[in-house]
Amino acid sequence: MRIGVSLLVAAATILGVAGTASAQQTLQQVRDRGSLNCQVGLPTPGFYALAANGTWSGMDVDMCRGVAAAIFNDPSKVQYQSVTSAVRFTSLANGESDMLSRTTTWTAVRDGQLGLEFAGVNFYDGQGFVVPRASNITSARELDGATICVLTGTTTELNLADYFRANNMRFTAVTNENVNVLVETYLGGGCDAYTNDKSGLAARRSAFPTPNDHMILPETISKEPLGPVVRHGDNNWGDIVRWVLFGMIEAEEMGVTSANVTEMLRSPNPGIKRLLGVEGNVGQGMGLPNDFMVRVLRHVGNYGEIYERNVGANTPIGIPRERSLNALWTNGGILYAMPFR
Amino acid sequence: MSDAPLVFTPRPADPPPPSTIGVVGWMRANLFSSVPNAILTFLGAYIFYVVVYAIIDWALIKAVWEAENRRQCLDMVGRSGACWPGVAAWIPNLIYGLYPKDQVWRINTGFLILIAWAVPLWLPRVKSKVAIGLSLVLLYPLLVSYFFHGGAQTLVWTALIALGGAAFLWVWLTTLAEMRFGLGFGALVARLAGAADDERARRIGWGALAALYVLALLIVSQLSFVEVQTRLWGGLFLTLVISGIGIAFSLPAGVLLALGRRSQMPLIRVFCVTFIELFRSVPLITILFMFNTMLPLFLPQGVEVNRLLRAIVAVCLFASAYMAEIVRGGLQAIPKGQYEAAAAMGLGFWQSTSLIILPQALRIMIPSIVGNFIGLFKDTTLVSIIGLFDLLSMSRAVGEDTRWLGLFIEPFFFITLIYFVFCFLMSQYSLNLERRLGEGQRR
Repeated sequence: MRIGVSLLVAAATILGVAGTASAQQTLQQVRDRGSLNCQVGLPTPGFYALAANGTWSGMDVDMCRGVAAAIFNDPSKVQYQSVTSAVRFTSLANGESDMLSRTTTWTAVRDGQLGLEFAGVNFYDGQGFVVPRASNITSARELDGATICVLTGTTTELNLADYFRANNMRFTAVTNENVNVLVETYLGGGCDAYTNDKSGLAARRSAFPTPNDHMILPETISKEPLGPVVRHGDNNWGDIVRWVLFGMIEAEEMGVTSANVTEMLRSPNPGIKRLLGVEGNVGQGMGLPNDFMVRVLRHVGNYGEIYERNVGANTPIGIPRERSLNALWTNGGILYAMPFR
Repeated sequence: MSDAPLVFTPRPADPPPPSTIGVVGWMRANLFSSVPNAILTFLGAYIFYVVVYAIIDWALIKAVWEAENRRQCLDMVGRSGACWPGVAAWIPNLIYGLYPKDQVWRINTGFLILIAWAVPLWLPRVKSKVAIGLSLVLLYPLLVSYFFHGGAQTLVWTALIALGGAAFLWVWLTTLAEMRFGLGFGALVARLAGAADDERARRIGWGALAALYVLALLIVSQLSFVEVQTRLWGGLFLTLVISGIGIAFSLPAGVLLALGRRSQMPLIRVFCVTFIELFRSVPLITILFMFNTMLPLFLPQGVEVNRLLRAIVAVCLFASAYMAEIVRGGLQAIPKGQYEAAAAMGLGFWQSTSLIILPQALRIMIPSIVGNFIGLFKDTTLVSIIGLFDLLSMSRAVGEDTRWLGLFIEPFFFITLIYFVFCFLMSQYSLNLERRLGEGQRR
């Protein structure tokens, strides 16, 4: 009996310690460890893709590399933790991951209840449908009574139900947790339409036997702002991730690229001077060197470069950027970085 | 009339009717003995033909063997044939995970050492098989962990690796000595040194072992492998590491737990019952989640327990709880008379357990134990859920590679073959073991 009691006391003590300790100084921990623990998801083309040679690449991976470059001046000092979406938030909350960069939608519940801090949006996505051209369906409104393939365990299922209910339509869902199985079902005629985030639809459609026989319907039935996430309680760390992202967007707006960043250091433009840390002390307040954006841009590049490299029109995924939400606000999109000053 | 005695020579027997012998006879007896049987035979053959032909057609005849990416495969045969180049490009990852390709020889060497270590167990005239087997389970992991993980050696670390290395040298020296001279390594050295009495011989034997250890220490301290972090481990290699450790740990732990559960000592019994029932009542996936996501919360800040280690510990504990119940079943099958006879011989608990009870119990438990091992081997796929790239999750990654996007049936097909080969070998080996050990009891 006595052993049991002392064990309980010990467990309670350890719990108490763990509860208070895991808040501040993520930056210091990362520096001590010598690498950034960046959580991505199971391999997904365009965002966190794993190549046969074992390297990670993608929009979200570049976010990790950007933060690592800002801290270490070396984008390779990242340990990628690829975990299923079921444990993504616990893995962040228990301190295993320093940040999460894995197409996670910014929602009120996640932000408010799960102890998360969204650092910004690096991709504006939205749920859509892909249908065979032969079906002559040209709008999501014509899907009444359709059988629809949908991924389980994400918000796509909920969005789908919401959209059909709001428009007073009915549907039959074919669900699976494996995208590939769903795509096979869709291609085999097991459902009339396949729904997912439009970036995912574009990627999958590119791998169909005959991509042109299928079309993505124009409607976007949900807002999916995807961005990096950190834990509650360490605001400075959140600032670092946020301003690395803003810096990438700002750099594109100002025309600073990985190729010309060295010349740009001599630019007379005060905005560029502040961005690159030639003037002002933006970095200092966050515990970074003032030229942290020079490191990010030199090693990873600005937002436009990241976009074109990973999901742009010249990649197999090919999500056009013009006139999309992900264009800069100056080009008709909604990508807008807060000012560097 | 000759005088030759009349000897009865039977007329040679008529050959059996041709319809009952040979292939035709067998077919008539087994496949076409009646009209319904004949119909079933034809139906079965047709189904078999359709299924097998479809698989062969897809996997071999229409398959694409050379392509740059999946688009080329699709352009050539669409989805009617397999696209093997994608699997081929990923084979290194499927086998070794993301382990640096220039270091892969270390994994291969590690597994070769395992084979070399186990070979003496099957050689004739080797007497120290128990010691060799024990050293394989206890000391081989010390040696091979350095091969797999590498990194800087600390003092203790080096000493432990050297222990593994020395054990390996000892295994082979003893094997050779016993096969050639019928004497163990230590005894042989003592004989060669001309030891006068047993006491001296024993001392020389220990001296020889110490010399072996120093030799191993010298060799090991010369090794310096780059560190390969466990997050890069994956594929078949990781599956084998997890299931191997699980198997090696769960059998002895299960035996101890089963003995503890039958113990007269209340403290031990309560502990064993609690442990077994707790881990048997919870699904493996829950235990994995618990260890993976909850454990870090309980640890002090800055202490990071390796993710793989957490998974291995979870698998080991889970497997030993199951093993304990299998062993308990085996123990209960031993008639009470055996215990009483052992006690009457004056054997104590450990002696009667290890000499009388366990050898009999383990023999009857072989099918269930191997069944459990096979289950464990396949259960390791669950670690993919906590983000370890075992064989299954690695095969899923193939279809997410931008070049091979959507390729997922072919990798599954490939790893199915791998799983089949391993599980089938395990079950065949267990059958073989049963046959050999059960020789004396055949009825």
